[in-house]
Amino acid sequence: MHSDLLLVIVVGTALAFDFTNGFHDTANVVATSISTRALPPRLAVGMAALLNFVGAFISLQVAATVAKGIVEIDVVTPTIVFGGLIGATAWNITTWYFGLPSSSSHALIGGVVGATIAAHGTGAVIGDGLVGKVIVPALLAPTLAFVVAGLAILVTYALVARLRPGPTSRGFRFGQVASGGLLALSHGTNDAQKTMGVITLALIAHGDIAANNFHVPDWVVISAATAIALGTYVGGWRIIRTMGSRIIKMDPAQGFAAQTAGAAVILASSHYGFPLSTTHVIAGGVMGAGAAKRVSAVRWGVAGNIVLAWILTLPAAGLMGAAIYGLSRVFGTGALGPVLITATIIVGGGALFARRLSRRPAITPTEA
Amino acid sequence: MRVLATVVDTSALAKVVLSSLLAGIGITAVFAVAILSATRFAEMRREGRMTEAVGFAALGITGLAVCTAAVVVGIVIMASK
Repeated sequence: MHSDLLLVIVVGTALAFDFTNGFHDTANVVATSISTRALPPRLAVGMAALLNFVGAFISLQVAATVAKGIVEIDVVTPTIVFGGLIGATAWNITTWYFGLPSSSSHALIGGVVGATIAAHGTGAVIGDGLVGKVIVPALLAPTLAFVVAGLAILVTYALVARLRPGPTSRGFRFGQVASGGLLALSHGTNDAQKTMGVITLALIAHGDIAANNFHVPDWVVISAATAIALGTYVGGWRIIRTMGSRIIKMDPAQGFAAQTAGAAVILASSHYGFPLSTTHVIAGGVMGAGAAKRVSAVRWGVAGNIVLAWILTLPAAGLMGAAIYGLSRVFGTGALGPVLITATIIVGGGALFARRLSRRPAITPTEA
Repeated sequence: MRVLATVVDTSALAKVVLSSLLAGIGITAVFAVAILSATRFAEMRREGRMTEAVGFAALGITGLAVCTAAVVVGIVIMASK
């Protein structure tokens, strides 16, 4: 009975994380298209939501790799996963509130690592895995995207310099629809699978699936795809505004260069088994496309805040994950702790949300 | 550097850097050439220079075909993971 309830809570929390992952990362896919008016805001997020949903069905191969090689998988319990998911979701909401694009994948890894350390100490964390799979890619992703987008926009400007701006901008806006669509598909493929992996691991721990027969049930695929698509459609407008217009004032050629460079880096890294964060790549691409035109075109203060959020993601989500795990264990090893924490979050979060709505309107698609 | 090589697949890393540079800069440049060709095609046709117009049309269509192929390759990469 207790384990059934715990499983339901972990599945619900995983889908809630997936939803925040969708609305937090909408900006990665649509911000440049909205900023350059390649697509109207609602159409852009609608298209991104649909392609995120479709992308979730394209491949299921990486669903099993969540936290693999970073923590000792055999010590991970549903309560650790619960702590990690709540830590990651809390960090996603915090960075969304401040309009900062941070990596949802790093938040999830940070949350799970924090909860694992709280449960079993640092010995359960694989240091080399953390450096090789998280820290080095976090340094590589924005740097590489910055350089690729910067060089791409310099070549582009050299080619189209003497053309009339009207038709040229229309051409690049058309191109942005395709490059944005590719990004949305790859986001759905990568990020929905993390949730599928978490739910499947919980099902294995519960005994519903044999550990030596890892497969993702259809209902898990459909529910994860739906949650990320719904989150994307809701749209994290604060982050869209930061990514689309607060880092640089973008023209359509820069938007196209940033998106194409981003798609190239994400797909190349994915192909060679070196997964990078979509958020880090796109933000780096936007900064590179701006800096290549004029270094002062980038608002370095905003860029600095974003980098600070990236640096804080792992430790902050880890601390939250550890705290939630510790709090759950105060009530024993059963479902009581997670039930009470979930109930408190739902009631407290609902009250804060209602208060916020009554005070000041949320950022609208037009403002973004 | 040696320590880094023990925790990171440096060969994969080098391939990621090279492929990203080639694909990111290459596809953006090819699309820019397609836009340039479309604009020049319209100008040449207006001026009645049909030979040049046909040449720019062919270049533009080739550029778009290369970009479309790149999108297809991207989807294949996603599906084959």
